[in-house]
This record gives sequence, structure tokens and C-alpha cells, in this order.
Amino acid sequence: MSERRFASLTLLPGAAWLVLLFLVPLGITLAISFGVTDELGNALYAWHPENYDRVFDPLFAPVLLRSVGYAAATVALCLLIGYPVAYYIARFGGRYKYLLVALVVLPFLVNYLIRVYAWTAILSDEGLVNGVLEDLGLTSDGVRFLNTPWAVIGGLTYGYLAFMILPIYAALDRMNPSLIEAGKDLYATGWQTFRHVTWPATFQGVLAGSVLVFLPAVGDFVSAQLLGGPDTYMVGNLIQQQFFDANNFPFGAALTTVLMAFLLIFMVFYLRSAGRAAAEARA
Amino acid sequence: MSRKSIEGLLAGRMSRRDVLKVGGGVALGAGLSACGLGGGSASEADTTRVIEPKIDGDLVYFNWAQYLNPSLIKKFERKYGVQVRQSNFDSMPAMMAKLRSGNQYDLIFPSAEFADKLIKENQLLEIPLDKLPATEDIYQFFDDPWYDPGSKHTVPYSLYLTGLGYRADEIDTMTGSWRDLTNPQAEGRSYILDDFQEGIGMANLVNGYELNAVEPDQLEASKEYLIGLKPDLRGFSSDTITNMSSGNAWIQHLWNADVINIRYRVDDPTSIKFQQNREGIPVGSDVFAIPTNAEHPGTALLFIDFVLANSPKNATWTGYPMPTNGAEKPYADLVKSEPELQVTVETLEKGQQFANLEGTDRENWDRVWTEVRAA
Repeated sequence: MSERRFASLTLLPGAAWLVLLFLVPLGITLAISFGVTDELGNALYAWHPENYDRVFDPLFAPVLLRSVGYAAATVALCLLIGYPVAYYIARFGGRYKYLLVALVVLPFLVNYLIRVYAWTAILSDEGLVNGVLEDLGLTSDGVRFLNTPWAVIGGLTYGYLAFMILPIYAALDRMNPSLIEAGKDLYATGWQTFRHVTWPATFQGVLAGSVLVFLPAVGDFVSAQLLGGPDTYMVGNLIQQQFFDANNFPFGAALTTVLMAFLLIFMVFYLRSAGRAAAEARA
Repeated sequence: MSRKSIEGLLAGRMSRRDVLKVGGGVALGAGLSACGLGGGSASEADTTRVIEPKIDGDLVYFNWAQYLNPSLIKKFERKYGVQVRQSNFDSMPAMMAKLRSGNQYDLIFPSAEFADKLIKENQLLEIPLDKLPATEDIYQFFDDPWYDPGSKHTVPYSLYLTGLGYRADEIDTMTGSWRDLTNPQAEGRSYILDDFQEGIGMANLVNGYELNAVEPDQLEASKEYLIGLKPDLRGFSSDTITNMSSGNAWIQHLWNADVINIRYRVDDPTSIKFQQNREGIPVGSDVFAIPTNAEHPGTALLFIDFVLANSPKNATWTGYPMPTNGAEKPYADLVKSEPELQVTVETLEKGQQFANLEGTDRENWDRVWTEVRAA
């Protein structure tokens, strides 16, 4: 057996996995998105493209915009927090480097839902944070953190931060540190070195991190449900509501399909940019 | 991991309606594969299998978590030398999805409207009430319930009603009206249930309509009421126990049994009070039911009888009133300081039950709720 044949064979389990657990469900979702519900609320396969008309009802525009806005804010915050962390680990982690990376990943061993739920206890009016603030004499009434857009964005940032740190860390780790020293040798300030050397060298990592954070954040519903208020409804909540409360699988599936198509645009943009960067690197 | 409250897990007590909707996605997904088959494959003949209350194997039990006194299950196992193999659902749609994907259970606990749905789909066995002595104690109110004409396929399990819970140490100007949700003393710490039926039903009552109003102009008015309410609310949340015990909620739209469970959690239980509201009281019940594909319906019948005979212990443990004559007094003792938590026959007659809306009526309710949430 040639090496190439063997290599193709090793793809089989992964391919089977993708077909069974990704493509098939995706196909079912697509099929149901054209379906109808019967009198008892059961979804039936049918040809009912009107489900898609409803997706574009102006009523849902604020929900979509809000989701994109929250996700964009999440990306910005993750970048602001994540870049310095990745930089420190890659440059100054020394022999603790892998330990520090492990610590970044550690919270992921606990289910996201549970972690966000823990935040409701930490941030509540009589919770941990307010307790400390009160002890310090900074507040007596309790600061209202929960049920605000800030809490939702905070929850998203917390939830997806590692997706930003890891690719940036990888990019920094790959980068030759003597480039930074060369910048300094040429009398560049720290900021100039960062802007003209480090940032461009790690931009692909930043881009990858941004996409990895943005995609799940747009569709997230846990943060808005547990930390949000009456006006933080996101598209993920809207979709979830169709499946659980409204028992309207077809409309929920149509929303899902449109959201995925929308996110695919970002994916394509990212892949093209990454492809160009790789081509430039080769050239 | 699908239960709602970490504190609840620690405390070991939960309210059955205290449910995290984030959890059941997996089960719902299972339902998708069966979707398209609908539920119509069963015929009425399937429901009339003759069953006898005698042990025919271990009991495969499917219920909300923490919704039946566990000591009763142990006693039942000892008494009859069988095992109760328990599994839990965390929402009615998740329960339906499990049933639709062909899982076999001997005993399930649907709400009245889901019982209605299952009966219409011929998914429930007829239950021979005359062979279950403990059913004689059940309130006559349930002889011919709206969801199960002639009470042929279900046995009522528990009762609940919806009202407002509030912090009496912060608020002393409650007026017995749903409009108290906007009480200024709450300083924006009011939550309503994240539940389309309870939400729209409450708005219908406030507007002076029937709980189940479906007239488009009435629904429109209720929608406007709910949207107008949003600036005064802190959130839509069915996590009532955490909301109130953490101090986030001073007024919370909730189910009566939640109050009992909140009181177990707070330093000063007497600060948690409850009111029924004069515009109308939503009441409901959950039922025992045996699916047509049950393998051990005989054990299930014995279990139903056993649990009913021990209703008092069950009511005080779960915090839910039970629809039997024997359970009324012990429950009344439990809620002595807050008698509006009790659901008596009188409350049932005075209250209104949610209907199982179908077709366009159901679609309109869903649309209204979606619009309220998205607005």
C-alpha cells in the first residue's frame, strides 16, 4: 500500500464522523426548514419556503443586530485581554509556558453552562463581588451587574477567551524573537516594534482568534439567558425558543440555516485571507 | 448536566418547574430524527390493552428530577421486591422527544396539556381506576378533566397555581394584583416567568380576558401590555428559586411550590411571601400516565396506587399540593403562614387552566411571545 493510499485510509473515521454527525444533521435541519407543523405541533417534511420569509421580518432585525454587536464587542474584549496574556506566556513563560497554557484551557474542562451559571451567583445583588465591594465600603446597595448587556458580553468574553489566546499564542510562539530584538537594535520604541514587527507577524493568529470567538458568540444563547435582562435577547435565544417553547421546528430550522449562511460569509473571508497570507509567506 | 441550580444540587431539593431550558437540546435532537413520522402512527386499539395491578417486572420511571419523595421509591422497591429504574427529563418537549424516538417507559408524568396531546395521539394506555383503591381519595373535580374525558388515561398527580412571590422585608405595598409587578418599591427587581403560556396568560388576565384568550385583537392588546412592561422588569426567568434566594428578585412571577423551596434556602423564610392575584389564578395539574408501549404496566399501576396512598408525605416533601383528600391537611399545615400557596378544590374551581392550544391559535400565541421577547 502506498503511503498516499494509507494516508487516505486514515481519513475514513474522521470523514465518517463528519458525515454522520455533521452533514446528516445539517441535511435534516435544511429539510425541516422547509417543513410545516401539524395540528398537534409535530414537524412534518413539506415544501413551505414561507418559513424563510418570516426570518426576514423586520421584527427580528434588532435581534440580529444585537447579536452581531455583542459578538463584535466580545471579540474586541477578548483581543484586549487575550493578546497580552498570550504575549506574556509566549515571551516570558519560560519553563512554565506549558503550565500557563494548560491553565488557560483548564476552565474548559467544566461545562460552559455550569460556569456561566456560577457567574450568576458571583454577580448577584447579594453575591460575592457585591459582598467584597460592600466590605470595602464602595457600595451599600449592591451594584446591579446581572441582567444587563454588560453581563451578557462579559459572559461571552469569559466563555470564549481561550479561543482568542491560543491562536495568538501559537503565532507568537512561532515568531522568531530575534525579530523583536532587531527592532530594538534599530532604535525602534517598544510601540513601534510592536506595530511594525510583532503585530504583522501575529496578525493571522489574531484573525483566527477573532473568527473562533465571533462565530460561537453570535449564536450563543446561554449567556443571554442566564445573565441577560429583558432587552438582551439574541438570535440564539430566538432559535432556542422556536424549538422548546414555540414547538416550531421548521421556523427554528430556517433561522438556523440563515444564521449559518451568514456566518459562512465570515468563514470564507477568513479562509481567503489566511490563504493569501500563506501564499505570501511562501513567496 | 441539565439541572438549573448549582445551589439546588447542593441543597438536594428542586422544584419541578424550576427548569433550565438550556439543558434538553440533546433529547430534542433525538426527536428530530423521528420528526416527520408525527405521532399519528398509533391507533386507538393500542390504548385499550387490559392491564392488571400486579408486578410484571422492574418499573421504568420517567419524571422531572426531585419531583417525588425518594423515600417512597425505596419503600416501594422493598415492599414489592422490584427496582425502580429512574430517568429524568427537564422539559415537556424533551419528554415528548424521548417518547417519539421510541424509548419505552412504564410511567411518565406529563402536564395536563401534554397529556391531552398524548391522548389525542393514542399514546396512553387506559388506566383501570376501579382496580386502584387509593384513587378513591382523588378530588371529584378530576372525574372528567378537560384533558382526559372520563379520566380514562390519566391519574392526577400534583396541583399548582401561579402567582407572585415577594420579599416582605423590602415591600409592604402589595395589592393582590398582577399589576404589582411594577410596584416601585421593587426598584426594578421584578422578574416574569420565561414561559409563553404563563406570560401571555398573565397579560390576558390583567387585561380582563380569559386566561386562554385567542381573539387576535385581545392577543394584540396583551402583547402590547407585555412589551410595555419590559422597562419595569429585570428579566424573563424561570429560575425563580435562585432569583429570589440570591436577592436579585424582590417580586417574582412563580409557581406556588417554588416558594416552599425558596424558603428552605434563605436565612429568614418568613420574608418570602406569596399572593394569588384577583384578575385570575392560573391553576394546573400534572398526571400519571402509562405509554402504550410500556413493558411493565402492571408494576406501574401498583406504583401509582402506592404513591397516591402516601400523598401526604409526597406533598410535604415536593412542596406541591396533591389532589387527594388525605394530603390536604398536612399540606395546609406546611403552608400555615402562607395559606395562598394551597390549591384546594375551591381554588381549582375559581382558577383557570391552560388549554392545549392547537393550529393557528397556538401559532398566534407563539408569535406573540416571540414578538414580546424580540421587541
